[in-house]
Amino acid sequence: MKRIQRLLAIVLSASVLNATALHTAHAALVPTEEAARLAGVTQAESGHARLSAAFAREDVRAELLRQGVDPALAQARIAALTDAEATRLADQIDSAPAGGIIGAILLVFFVLLFTDILGLTKVFPFTRSIR
Amino acid sequence: MPTGTLAAAAVPGGRPLGPTRRSRCAPLFALVLLLAALLAGGCATPSPGLLAQPNAGLPSRVELADTPFFPDDSHFCGPAALATSLSAAGLPTRPEELVGQVFLPGREGSLQIEMLAGARRNGAVATLIPGTLEALLREVAAGHPVIVLQNLGLSWAPSWHYAVVVGYDLEAGEILLRSGPMKRQVLGLRTFEHTWKRSAHWAFVTLPPGRLPLTVSAADATEALIAFERSAPPRSAALAYRSGLQRWPHSYALEMGLGNALYAAGDLPGAEAAFGRAADTHDQAAAHNNRARVLLELGRPAQARQAAERGLAVAGPLRATLLDTLRAIDTAMPAR
Repeated sequence: MKRIQRLLAIVLSASVLNATALHTAHAALVPTEEAARLAGVTQAESGHARLSAAFAREDVRAELLRQGVDPALAQARIAALTDAEATRLADQIDSAPAGGIIGAILLVFFVLLFTDILGLTKVFPFTRSIR
Repeated sequence: MPTGTLAAAAVPGGRPLGPTRRSRCAPLFALVLLLAALLAGGCATPSPGLLAQPNAGLPSRVELADTPFFPDDSHFCGPAALATSLSAAGLPTRPEELVGQVFLPGREGSLQIEMLAGARRNGAVATLIPGTLEALLREVAAGHPVIVLQNLGLSWAPSWHYAVVVGYDLEAGEILLRSGPMKRQVLGLRTFEHTWKRSAHWAFVTLPPGRLPLTVSAADATEALIAFERSAPPRSAALAYRSGLQRWPHSYALEMGLGNALYAAGDLPGAEAAFGRAADTHDQAAAHNNRARVLLELGRPAQARQAAERGLAVAGPLRATLLDTLRAIDTAMPAR
């Protein structure tokens, strides 16, 4: 378990560093996607905000912990998604009825996402296996 | 489980759709939908009587008989459907070339996100169309084959499948598809509607840059064009943005996209004009900034400074970017 945690930490910090590098390299021209997002044409950061709200829920956190998934790690993983991917995920969660379902869907997502990163499965096209 | 859903699982055409032909074409979606379906219980709202609506202006029969056909008898319905659509759009493609781009061997299927990305990588603008039977038929009547995602199984035992709608006959109540091994599958509209509904009416059209589907919303078109710009040669991206601006002339995002594409293509005067229109119409910091940068490159630093200062006044989160631009202008032409 320790080894897995360490591997995950490396993957997560690498992806965070990567994202920071992209942001600090100032492009002289503002790209279309960013311009559209700033002008509110396309959805602005709503995916991340909505997922964070879901994670703030006590029942979701409790369920994640019960399944051995550290909610903090899960949240870091969400931060590594692009906003479009996060929004899509949030939409799918929103379209499910309220109650225990949110936990169930999040679990499916995280179990698969984590096993993807470990190279056991390949469900999400945007994950890179560590082996 | 309502019996209506069970009945819809049987697909005419004499082909059993049991375990022998399970195209697991969209595993991620399948999984989420499956969960949702399992847990939704009786909350599902049946789609309104699409067939009962009078379809004003729609020809009663259409068949795009020239649409190519790539037979597939295994798990490659995604690549086959995409090759059909791309080839019909004048971008000759073979399913074999697409397998590496849109197929996940481990899951024996293709994800929806990758179907759209795969179309873009092959030079097409891939646009989602509204999930209504009317929009679908209108596209076909306009000569655009439509890729649809169907669930040929049950909501709780999904059998995902991509097919291409190439025609319909309203009087006979039938729809025509290029589907798997069938070159001309005739499906009852009602049956089709059942299989399509289980994918939340997911459908898209691929067209060469410069053309857009008839029924697409401004939001879906904008998203498709911005995504296309990311992977397309700048000139193709500019052509694609122009087609969008023809339909939505006051779109800020499309005008910015045109400016960025023209800049990348080396057409500085064209880019300046586009950013100028965006800046004057919408007074957005990004438009002022990009205009200032292009004016500076065109050797017009005084006008560049004006644009950058207008931008700074409305900068918001782009303050650092505009200060950078002003510094670049200062270097080129020290302030008086």
